Amino acid sequence: MMSRRKRMLMYFGMIAVTVITVFPFLWMIILSFKTNSEIMLSPLSMPDSINFDNYVHALDTLNYRQLYLNTFTICMVSIVAELVITFLSSFVLARMDFGKHLKQLIYGYLILGLSISPFILLFPVYKINLLLGLKEKYGLIMPYIATSISFNTLLLVGYLKALPREIDEAALVDGCTLWQLIGRVILPMTKPVIATVVIFNVLYIWNEYPFASVMLRDIGSYTLSMGASFFKGKFSVDYGAIIASSIMIIIPELVFYGLFQKNIVDGMTAGAVKG
Amino acid sequence: MHWLSKKRYIAGLLLPTLVVYTLYIIAPIFIALYYSFTRYSGIGMAKFVGLTNYQRLFSDTTFWISVRNTVIILLVDFLLLLVAAFLVAMLLNNSLKYNGLCKALIFSPAIIAPIIVGIIWVYILDPEVGVLNGILDAIGLTGMKQQWIGGKTLSPYSIAVIYFWQQLGYIVTIYIAGLKMLPEEVLEAARVDGASPVQKVLYIIIPMIRTTISTVAVLIITGVFKIFEIVQQTTGGGPNHMSETLVTYSYSTTFTNGEYGYGMSLATITFVFSIIIVGLYQVAARRGEEKEG
Repeated sequence: MMSRRKRMLMYFGMIAVTVITVFPFLWMIILSFKTNSEIMLSPLSMPDSINFDNYVHALDTLNYRQLYLNTFTICMVSIVAELVITFLSSFVLARMDFGKHLKQLIYGYLILGLSISPFILLFPVYKINLLLGLKEKYGLIMPYIATSISFNTLLLVGYLKALPREIDEAALVDGCTLWQLIGRVILPMTKPVIATVVIFNVLYIWNEYPFASVMLRDIGSYTLSMGASFFKGKFSVDYGAIIASSIMIIIPELVFYGLFQKNIVDGMTAGAVKG
Repeated sequence: MHWLSKKRYIAGLLLPTLVVYTLYIIAPIFIALYYSFTRYSGIGMAKFVGLTNYQRLFSDTTFWISVRNTVIILLVDFLLLLVAAFLVAMLLNNSLKYNGLCKALIFSPAIIAPIIVGIIWVYILDPEVGVLNGILDAIGLTGMKQQWIGGKTLSPYSIAVIYFWQQLGYIVTIYIAGLKMLPEEVLEAARVDGASPVQKVLYIIIPMIRTTISTVAVLIITGVFKIFEIVQQTTGGGPNHMSETLVTYSYSTTFTNGEYGYGMSLATITFVFSIIIVGLYQVAARRGEEKEG
C-alpha cells in the first residue's frame, strides 16, 4: 500500500499538471466575455459583466452554419469514399491470395505515406487539382482521401488479418459471392476498427488547415479552421471576436472528444505505436 | 479457393486506392522535386534553372534563421517531451481516484485544431494582452516580463513550449501504454532487493521501455516538422522573418511570395532534413542497443 503522504503528493502532482494544462481553455472562456478594450487595457481583470457581445459580433460577421455545413459535407464525402476504397484494398491485402512479395511491396508502398509531411504536397496537389478542374471544396476531398490511406491501411489490414481464415472458407462453402462475403460477413465484424478510423479522420478533417488555406479562396466554401483565422485581419485584430469564434469551434470538438474519447485515443496511439 | 485468388478481383479492388494514393501522395513529391529545379511565378511555363535554387539557399539568411529556429524547437521539445512527459507519465500511471479524468483533460489539447492552439496561446504570451506578462506585473516581477512572442529571440522557445502543451497528453498516453507492459514481478523483485526509486527508473524501467522511447523520439521529430499553424498564429514568422521555421518559410515563399520554384526547393530540403534526422536517430538508437547487447 502507498503511504498516506505519498498519496497526497501524487494527488497534488496530478491535479497541478491537470490545472496547468486546462488553464488556457478556462482563460479563453473568461476572456470571451470581456470587451476588446478590457482585453487590451487590463489583461488580468475579470470581465465587468457576462456579456455575449463578442459572440454576437462573431456570429454577425461569419456564417457558422455555413462553416459547419461545409466542414461536415467535405468530411462525409471524404470519409465514405476513403472507407470504401481502403476497406476493399485492405481486404485484398489481408485476405486474398497472390504473390507474397508483391503483397508486401504494395502494403509497404501504401504505408510509406505515414512518414510524408503534408507540407511538401501542398503546391503539387494544388497544381494537380487545377489540372483536374477541382476547385474550392472539391479540391479538398481528394487530398483528404489520399492522406488517410496510409493510416487506414495500417489499421484495417492489421485488424482484417487477425480475423480467422475459416470465415472465408465457410462463406465459400455456403456459396457466397465475394461481395456477400465482404459486405455481409466481414464488414460487420470490423465495426470497432471502422469506428476508430472514422472518428480519427473526422477529427483530422475538422482540424485540417494547411490544405484548406491553399485550396479555399471563396469565403462561402470556408471550413471551420479557416473560419478560426478569419478575424485576424491584416490591419486590425479583433481580439474578442477571435476568442468567441474559437470557442464556438472548440466546444463542439471537446464534446465530440468526451463522447468518443476511447476511439480517439486508440486511433491516435495506434498510428504511432504500430507505425 | 476460386474468387479469393482471382487476379481480376484483386487488381480491381486494389486499383482505386493505388490510383488516388499515387496521384495525390507519391506523384506530388516528384512534382515538388521537379519545380525545385525551376523558376516559376505561376504564370506561363516553369523555366528550368538547374541547381540555382539550391545554391541560393546557402546565401539566404532567412533560410539559415529558419534552420536555426527549427533546430531550437526540436531540441527544446526533445527535452520536454522525452523527459518531462516521461515524468508526468510516471506520475499518472497510478490507480488513484480521478486518474482517468485527469488523463482525459491532459490529453484534450491534442485533439483541438492546431490553429486554435496558436490563437489560445496568443492570449497567454502576447507581450501586451497576454496573461503571462500580466501575472508577472501583478506579482511584482515586472523585470521578468519578456517579449515571449513577436520579439527577436524568444519566439522559437515559446513555440516549442506551446507545442509541448499540445502534445503532452498524447506522449504521456504512449508512455503509459509502455509502462503498463512492464512485468509486475520485475519491479517487485527490484523493490525486494532494495533498489531506490531513482535506481528503479534508471536501471530497470528506462531500459525496459526502450522501444516506447524510440517511438516517442520519432514522433517528436516528425511532429516538429509539422508545426505550422502555431507559428502562423503567434508570430506569422515575423518580425522580419526572425521566427520563421523551415515549414513556414517554405509556405510563405511559395504561397505568399509566389516564388514557386524556390518554395519547392525549400519544401524538398525540409522533407529531406526530417527524413535524415529520423534516420540518424534510428541508427544511433540501434548502435546503443547493440552496445548494451
